[in-house]
Amino acid sequence: MFDPRTKLLLALAYGTLIALTRKPEWLLGEWSLLVAAIVVMNQWKVYLRWLAMLVPMALFFGGVTWWSTDRATGQAAATSLMAITTTFFVFFASTEPEDLGNSLVHAGLPFPVAFVMTAAMQFAPVIGRKARAIVEAQQARGIALKPGWRALRNYPALLIPLLIQSFQLADALAEAMEARGFGRSGRTFRKVYRMRMLDWLAIIGGWGVVAVVLRYFAR
Amino acid sequence: MAESTLITVRELTYRYRQKSRPVLQGIHLDISGNDYLLITGRSGSGKSTLCRTFNGLIPHFYGGVLTGEVFVAGAPVDQTSVAALFNQVGMVFQNPEAQLFCRSVAQEIVFGLESLGLPRQTIEDRLRDALDQAGITALRQRDPQTLSGGEKHLVLIAAMLALRPRVIILDEPFANLDPANVLRVRRLLRELHAKGCGIVLCEHRLSRAAPDATRLVVIHEGKIAADGIPQGILANAETAWGLETPLTTRIGASLGLTPLPRSIEDMPSIPPQPALIAALEPPLPEAFTHQGQPPAVEVDHLCCQLGNQPILTDISFALHPGECLAVVGANGAGKTTLLRHLIGLQRPTKGRIRIKGRDTAGTPISNLARDVGLAFQNPDNQFFRLTVDQEIRVGPETLGTIDNSWIEELMAIFHLEAFGGHAPYRLSGGEKKRVAFASALASRPAVLALDEPTAGQDFEFRRNLRNFLGQLQARGQAIIIVTHDLTFAERTASRWLLMAEGRLLADTAPGRIMADPALMARAGLEATDRFRLAQRWQSKETRV
Repeated sequence: MFDPRTKLLLALAYGTLIALTRKPEWLLGEWSLLVAAIVVMNQWKVYLRWLAMLVPMALFFGGVTWWSTDRATGQAAATSLMAITTTFFVFFASTEPEDLGNSLVHAGLPFPVAFVMTAAMQFAPVIGRKARAIVEAQQARGIALKPGWRALRNYPALLIPLLIQSFQLADALAEAMEARGFGRSGRTFRKVYRMRMLDWLAIIGGWGVVAVVLRYFAR
Repeated sequence: MAESTLITVRELTYRYRQKSRPVLQGIHLDISGNDYLLITGRSGSGKSTLCRTFNGLIPHFYGGVLTGEVFVAGAPVDQTSVAALFNQVGMVFQNPEAQLFCRSVAQEIVFGLESLGLPRQTIEDRLRDALDQAGITALRQRDPQTLSGGEKHLVLIAAMLALRPRVIILDEPFANLDPANVLRVRRLLRELHAKGCGIVLCEHRLSRAAPDATRLVVIHEGKIAADGIPQGILANAETAWGLETPLTTRIGASLGLTPLPRSIEDMPSIPPQPALIAALEPPLPEAFTHQGQPPAVEVDHLCCQLGNQPILTDISFALHPGECLAVVGANGAGKTTLLRHLIGLQRPTKGRIRIKGRDTAGTPISNLARDVGLAFQNPDNQFFRLTVDQEIRVGPETLGTIDNSWIEELMAIFHLEAFGGHAPYRLSGGEKKRVAFASALASRPAVLALDEPTAGQDFEFRRNLRNFLGQLQARGQAIIIVTHDLTFAERTASRWLLMAEGRLLADTAPGRIMADPALMARAGLEATDRFRLAQRWQSKETRV
């Protein structure tokens, strides 16, 4: 529906809106809207897995803020963190990194920079799989690598092979990219990214709301 | 230089950075766009290095010292960038994981076309054609990292096809593929060659690669040892250069057949010669009979489910001390998952596993690791110590089971005495595997479990591994091997577990399994050349 750049700007606008909001009930409302969008996009299973990682982090952040200020601020901080990260969850669930990268290239970002950004996202799960395979190979030799202080002294058994394999992967990737003309100038793109009237209206509308909130409501 | 010559190599010598000896020496070669060229040689002979000079990755990407000349379509590679050569010489590397860097198959294929700066409509047309030619149109929107090994290779070939290169180079494309996927890739390469695309295949498994090639080059210790039509060279390949010649070729050479058959399909109708098979092939392992000892492993109605997806269904078998068992099946059949259960990396949803009579349920992995030594496919996943000796000792040191005399014995069994002080990462692929096997055995486990031990390994390694395993078996070691290398499995194990889609289809002698074509087809496997030839001759004798 929208150009990836529009989605990015809208995500930034919504994130700013959340950052400007102080009342926990308003923040809950903003977060609920995002959750509704996730349900509509049928991404709720992925979101639940993501929450398992995010909730402890938000509780910790909120707890520290509560301890150093007051309860309401602590609640707002935790909800705000949840809502902002959920904004970018929605953004990445609805936008292919390649589309984002290529559209930014159209907007003037150098292709190598955009490529590094998208390749990093593509290879994060690959590195994750490698880490799991290393943990299993070491466990099979009796070397415990479960999280915890007792396993801390064994962590070189994970980190050294992972580091070496990451370098090897980076080398192999660079070689494969060279072999497909990465360094060649005059690149074209299969997809065309054009900002239409609807995109401009959405951007103006989104940031207009932010401006209004900033002018009349933000303290 | 002939008019159709695409790649010309003259007196090429190349040495990698920080290496004292050259990998290639005095190479002289012409490759035309009509060749289906098989470049073979033992591991480390310089095959892959030579191929990297054909598209300029050497010297531009690797540096090092290159003397002599390499021309691609008349352009000297040392003065031409890789970006200027990549659409003439397409290259598919060995490890598909690192070459698939886009989010969809379509994007993967168009990456090179976008690099060329082609108009949008041309990109779309070539994308459609490449998908169609490779037979992967249905995969167009899939994430390449989620595909099977064979599909990944087809995507990479399609990415090259879209560029319409004059020649496609493939570096050991069959190393990690099961038989069905090998046939799929081979069929595509034959079709491409028939349509006029040159093929250069680097491979040391001659039985898979030689039947389709029109020309064979043998690289031995960095030099071209032979160059010509495959039939003329294959006869001496085993004795002269330590390569695994197809059985049919060896039989043909013994009988003086011309041309030499390169596959069963090539084999002319001759009177049955079963004695010749026995003379040319290593003896098959004898059927194992246990002398009443209790089993080392008992798997009883094992089921495993991930979410709603059944991964293993009702698997039961036993393995005794001194027995070698091969678990065979296509990629994704559940073989590795079965191994992971033995050491507790995965736990049964239903059923029981007993190691040395003790139920593994609730037993921590660290305890199971004392009884099951597991060597995974990629030895790089485990190396973190400075020397081979330290690396082998790390398991028993952690488990508190160190036995110095046993470690010394293991070093001798796996021929690692000379490498004790070497850094594991500096070893060759085969040497690393041997370190991983010794490491798996270092705690004197009752069971040795090997996951695809021969993947990507050459003839010499596979022959030596067979000997190592034979020695261990004679000492009463229970061994379980997961593999889709049926030739190795036939020569090593007297009993196979045949798996497909997480189910155990058969648990019996290899000959009985391979004699059932329906069973083999269901498992996506193809009988070994030895078995097929013996069966063909047997049926002929019966008819006579």
